[in-house]
Amino acid sequence: MQLLAIDTATPRVGVALGRDGRAVGEVALIGERRHAEQLVPAIEYLCREAGIGLRSLAAVAVGLGPGLFTGLRVGITTARTIAQALSIPVVGVPSLDLVAYPLRHTDRLVVVVADARRHEVFYAAYRPVPGGVQREGDYAIATPAAVVSDFDARGEEVLLVGDGVLAHWDVFLTLERAERAGPGAAYPSAAALIELATARVEREEFCAPADLEPLYLRRSDAEIEWDRLGR
Amino acid sequence: MTLILGIETSCDETAAAVVEDGRSIRSSVVSSQVDLHERFGGVVPEIASRAHAELVNPVIADALVEAGVDFRDLDAVAACHGPGLAGALLVGVSAAKALGLVLAVPYVGVNHLEAHLHAAWLQDPEVELPLAVLLASGGHTMVVVVEADARYRLLGETVDDAAGEAFDKVARFCGLGYPGGPVIDRLATQGDPRAIAFPRPMLTDGFDFSFSGLKTAVLNHVRRHPETDVRDLAASFQEAVVDVLVHKLLGAADGAGAPTLVIGGGVAANTSLRARALEAGTETGRRVLLPGLELCTDNAAMIAATAWWRLRSDGPTPLSAGADPSLRLPTSE
Ligand SMILES: [Zn+2]
Repeated sequence: MQLLAIDTATPRVGVALGRDGRAVGEVALIGERRHAEQLVPAIEYLCREAGIGLRSLAAVAVGLGPGLFTGLRVGITTARTIAQALSIPVVGVPSLDLVAYPLRHTDRLVVVVADARRHEVFYAAYRPVPGGVQREGDYAIATPAAVVSDFDARGEEVLLVGDGVLAHWDVFLTLERAERAGPGAAYPSAAALIELATARVEREEFCAPADLEPLYLRRSDAEIEWDRLGR
Repeated sequence: MTLILGIETSCDETAAAVVEDGRSIRSSVVSSQVDLHERFGGVVPEIASRAHAELVNPVIADALVEAGVDFRDLDAVAACHGPGLAGALLVGVSAAKALGLVLAVPYVGVNHLEAHLHAAWLQDPEVELPLAVLLASGGHTMVVVVEADARYRLLGETVDDAAGEAFDKVARFCGLGYPGGPVIDRLATQGDPRAIAFPRPMLTDGFDFSFSGLKTAVLNHVRRHPETDVRDLAASFQEAVVDVLVHKLLGAADGAGAPTLVIGGGVAANTSLRARALEAGTETGRRVLLPGLELCTDNAAMIAATAWWRLRSDGPTPLSAGADPSLRLPTSE
């Protein structure tokens, strides 16, 4: 079974092709938010070099965010459209899960922190379990300082990872009992998406393409302003 | 026979269409987001982009079903790649490029303004050139002369607000609702267009437009005379806008010796503008081409039609291309 995986929730464009649950090829480009330019050529390159025709795909998997709004729309629209044209299912997996999964062999609580700009971060915590990670609590948005005090209060050994940690390194440095992962682990892994999505494709856990909603976690400025003015 | 799927997501309409040989519309589906932006009195880019991402695939499916074709029947796929809202444009561009890749057919990125000009050919393929075209909407206001081989001369454009934007802002200030165009048009039919003498900005001053001063004049009038009948206000404001638009369109036709006048863009739905353009044509012995409302407002048939021409003249657009929110009309000089 062959799978295409796409994640564009961060400045990194990630694409992977998988066969029977393993990534056979992966492209990762950290660009200047040129998702729309880079994504389709990356898919084209991977298919050609891996010798996998798009028509042989069983499903398309895509990272749902939270992350960069425009990047998310580019990735999700591309995934949905490929699936639509090929009449195959599409599977969505939250992008923070794709940062946590490769760190499943640690014994610390994995806290994935993605840069949300405007001095805020998206985050979620994951408990390593046999074969994967188990998310604890919801996907959330907060200031870096609020995340630090949240996990400070829990008093647990944590592993901080994600481009939000890199962007606010000085703030996250203040958290005690914490280790911080570097840039190599900071972005959603398209190869992890192959592994996570394959299990769901095998269980036929598909949703209708229309239900494949990006995890925005933040409303538009206009709506926020509207409520602030109490209209 | 060449079948092209066009996709349009530059502003607040999500649209897809199938056009045969650049001329014959097999289907044209438009999903408007007007209700989403209504309470804000204008298009909110982030809300528009989110809606495009939700709607683009269902709209593509509808366009194919209505045309009675399958993905495999398509010879090329096109999307509007500018000008427009960056996040909105990239939804249509991403969908079209994905289809180009999967179906192994050319992808064509289309200029939104050029597409509006092509609406004239969709309305009448045998239209006599050159055309003097007035393009007026919420996003653009310009006068263009269209010559043979799809060559364009941009004579003038707005230096501040677009005409449709002026309608929206006046309507919002007077609490009339959104979008402003249809509301003011309706009220104006019951008002006196000569009740208030609003300025005709830059009327005899080349081909550029300026509507910001007129908008301010309306707001000042309402502040000073809150008792003004809103119908007279709407009629007088609309009359000032239409005077300027028609005057510049006729001037362009005179200068170019154009036998045909064309109006396009959302403002071309305005009943007074349509009537006055027809009148001007009759008076000067010119034909007036008024594309149907569905071709004036943003649609994807114009994108697919333009793509057919561009594919023949320039070939496909590379799949590494993105969008350009401030793309200009390609002109011949
Ligand atoms: Zn337009």
